[in-house]
Amino acid sequence: MKKISFFDVFKVFLKIGIILLGGGYVIIPIMKNELIEKRNWLNEDELCDYYCVSQCLPGIIAANMSILVGYKLAKIKGALAAILGMSFSPFISIVIVAHLLNKILAIPFIESLFWGVNLSVIVLIYLALKEMWSKSIVDLFSAFWFLFILLLAILKVNPAYLIIGSIILGIVFQIIKEKRGKNV
Amino acid sequence: MYNTYFLLFFEFLKVGLFTYGGGYASLPFLYLMADTYNWFSHEQLVQLIAISGITPGPIGLNMATFAGYQTLGLFGAFISSFGLILPMIIITSQVFRLYRKFSENEYVKSILYVLRPTSCALITSVGAKLFYNLILNNKLDFSNVDFIGLTLVIFLFLLTFKLKRDPIIYMAIAGIFGVCVYFLK
Repeated sequence: MKKISFFDVFKVFLKIGIILLGGGYVIIPIMKNELIEKRNWLNEDELCDYYCVSQCLPGIIAANMSILVGYKLAKIKGALAAILGMSFSPFISIVIVAHLLNKILAIPFIESLFWGVNLSVIVLIYLALKEMWSKSIVDLFSAFWFLFILLLAILKVNPAYLIIGSIILGIVFQIIKEKRGKNV
Repeated sequence: MYNTYFLLFFEFLKVGLFTYGGGYASLPFLYLMADTYNWFSHEQLVQLIAISGITPGPIGLNMATFAGYQTLGLFGAFISSFGLILPMIIITSQVFRLYRKFSENEYVKSILYVLRPTSCALITSVGAKLFYNLILNNKLDFSNVDFIGLTLVIFLFLLTFKLKRDPIIYMAIAGIFGVCVYFLK
């Protein structure tokens, strides 16, 4: 296979950034089309693996996937090309919209349009949760933990503390598990 | 002024480090920022969610860019996006080298076992907050319910049984509904 350059990776991810509408969920079919079918840079198993790993990492799933793919194609150079390429057009479009925001808001029906779109976000959040739910709430403890964190979040506890607390508890669980394993 | 640039960078670095489970999971951090600093209001945050959804790109990234722009203009947008992306570049490219071992590591599994319900709960809290703000109009006693909005949400909810989960369809339907409501009023 021909060596893949920074610019090759950048171009493809620039395109992915432009067609990625409606958030990260659509990244898999887009990447499959652009990277596997058109260019044969990856195989399906790799893409699946990257998706699973991206979900376990902090940050944005689509961005993490781009970094993994970029890294695979051209090491750290590729990772940078991928993330820069993917962020480029969203960045420009957001800056333009934000710059024109007051003019956009002055259009009479725009406020009603946003009103509708924001209500749809409630349903989109429900869809995101539905997807995560079966993998997340697996037993009595995780159900209890969900309610406990929900209560703390509604009481406006800093979410960073909740995340750090969860990571520490996970490590403690594993240490206890290993100790028990040795005693048996 | 320089101080605000630094704070903005640092706040979004935190978002990049502590967001698990997609763009909406970063919303609790943005609400906290709105409460802590005078960078943007809760109303602006609601606009930001709509705009991030209907422009190209991952929602989490769009929200960071937008929030940065509202705080400190173009350079602010650059700082917030960079802050968000930096931890991902470092952590994710390190993980790549051992990614098979990473997803099979017992510690990683245990941490995710606790972290997954946590991020579900954080996302649920955002959904509940939006419901409270937009449908109950900030009144817990149901005295100020927006029935037209409630109808739309129930309609979209029923659609989830029929349609695929591509979010743009729901946003488009809801946006058109909003415009219709405007012209019928």
